[in-house]
Amino acid sequence: MSGLWGVLQEHFPELLAGFLVTIRLVAIAFVIAMVVGAVVAALRISPSKWLQRIGGVYVETFRNIPLLVLLFISFAGLRRAGVPITPWIAGTASLGLYTAAYVAEALRSGAFAVGKGQIDAALSLGFSYASALRRIVIPQAFRSVIPTIGSLVIAMIRNSAIVGVSLLALPDLLKEARIIQSRTFETGEVFFWAAIGYLVLTLTATVAFRLLERRFEVRR
Amino acid sequence: MSYLFDPANWQWLITDRDVLFILEGFLVNLEIAAIAIVVSLIFGLFLALARISTLRPMSLVAGLWIDLWRNLPLIFMILYFALAMPQDWREAYESIVPAFFPEALRSGRVLAALSALILYNSAVLAEIMRSGISSLERGQGEAAASLGLTYSQSMRLIILPQGLRRMVPATVSQLITLNKDTTLVSIIAIQEVMRHGRIVTSSNFFGGVQAPVLQVFIFIGLLFIVVNLLLSRLSRRLELRERKRTGTTLRRVSGLEDQVAAESDLRSGY
Repeated sequence: MSGLWGVLQEHFPELLAGFLVTIRLVAIAFVIAMVVGAVVAALRISPSKWLQRIGGVYVETFRNIPLLVLLFISFAGLRRAGVPITPWIAGTASLGLYTAAYVAEALRSGAFAVGKGQIDAALSLGFSYASALRRIVIPQAFRSVIPTIGSLVIAMIRNSAIVGVSLLALPDLLKEARIIQSRTFETGEVFFWAAIGYLVLTLTATVAFRLLERRFEVRR
Repeated sequence: MSYLFDPANWQWLITDRDVLFILEGFLVNLEIAAIAIVVSLIFGLFLALARISTLRPMSLVAGLWIDLWRNLPLIFMILYFALAMPQDWREAYESIVPAFFPEALRSGRVLAALSALILYNSAVLAEIMRSGISSLERGQGEAAASLGLTYSQSMRLIILPQGLRRMVPATVSQLITLNKDTTLVSIIAIQEVMRHGRIVTSSNFFGGVQAPVLQVFIFIGLLFIVVNLLLSRLSRRLELRERKRTGTTLRRVSGLEDQVAAESDLRSGY
């Protein structure tokens, strides 16, 4: 069977499986990116010069290194060094830690937008630094960074495709498409459906974050 | 940790030709990025002009085109073009490629890689240019029109010179992303730094000791970090100068990772 519809009918199970692997990969990496990104952002705005510096080194390292190099280091590199790391751990950790640098920068700039006066006010009211961050700064910063986080999720969906075709060979959407293509040589048809899969994901993310933005909009 | 810092595992840095070989590969990456950014700037300008055109269908088509290439994974495009590009296109590329190009860039596969990089980056740069142009006040265009300039005159003489100036810092930021993206062409067997890294770690290529994977790729990562740090410093300086001159701030183009970082650097007065 051939033609666009024929190829979809025949290979739907594999393509769907790959689609779901891509979603799972992005979802896990997103959680890692948000958690690590929040910690690094907290370091970067902390009062201690040394903690700021550590956060700065993290950001500069992870946003200037290619994701593919990170994947080589975390998978092939650690394996050769005797660390029994699995493709899933290496893949989600690399994508998550890479994106965390951008998340940290977004949160930091959101925190700066809140304004130092508010922190001073909170401190003078007897808040501790941590609880001022948690109750005053973070809720407001979160709101202002929603669009940026949305952009980063879209970048993550696109970057996740690197994981599958690298040495890790996680069976994500692009990897599945590649496998089907190498068996059937129906290149155009298979890649067409994979492209649809990726566009569905990025467009869904775009719409979801636009709704989220509207939901948390502040009316002044 | 002891494995990481064991001097025996860093021996390859001085004993063999490994480092030189890796640097040769890295040069190929930089060359690919340079070619791609130049061509993308030209294509991007035309795309941006089409996008802001007053001709509705034209701007609609340009918008769809830009969104399509910006939303697909770059690695997907590289792979697809490598698999689907007709043989005679590759041969045509191989026959017209200038003789001064390095060996690694003369194979037909490079055309697939460059096409993908250029399609993606020209779409991104078009968005950056559009936001630079639309950040100009409306008054500029209106003043030009009231002086009797035609649309093309006011574009050429008034709007573009100012709008394009504003996008220079964002373009340098995009070059950082592009540099990182050049590693992806290793997937279609173009001999650049990742390939060279794999060669020195996989066999006794130069008759010496096999280099350890972890250390070699950390070294390769450092090469990228150094070059990209210099670029981001340059971008920041240009942006600050531009901001001082015009009093405007960077307009963000959604979907761009590196602009997130560039913008927050500025806000904190880095």
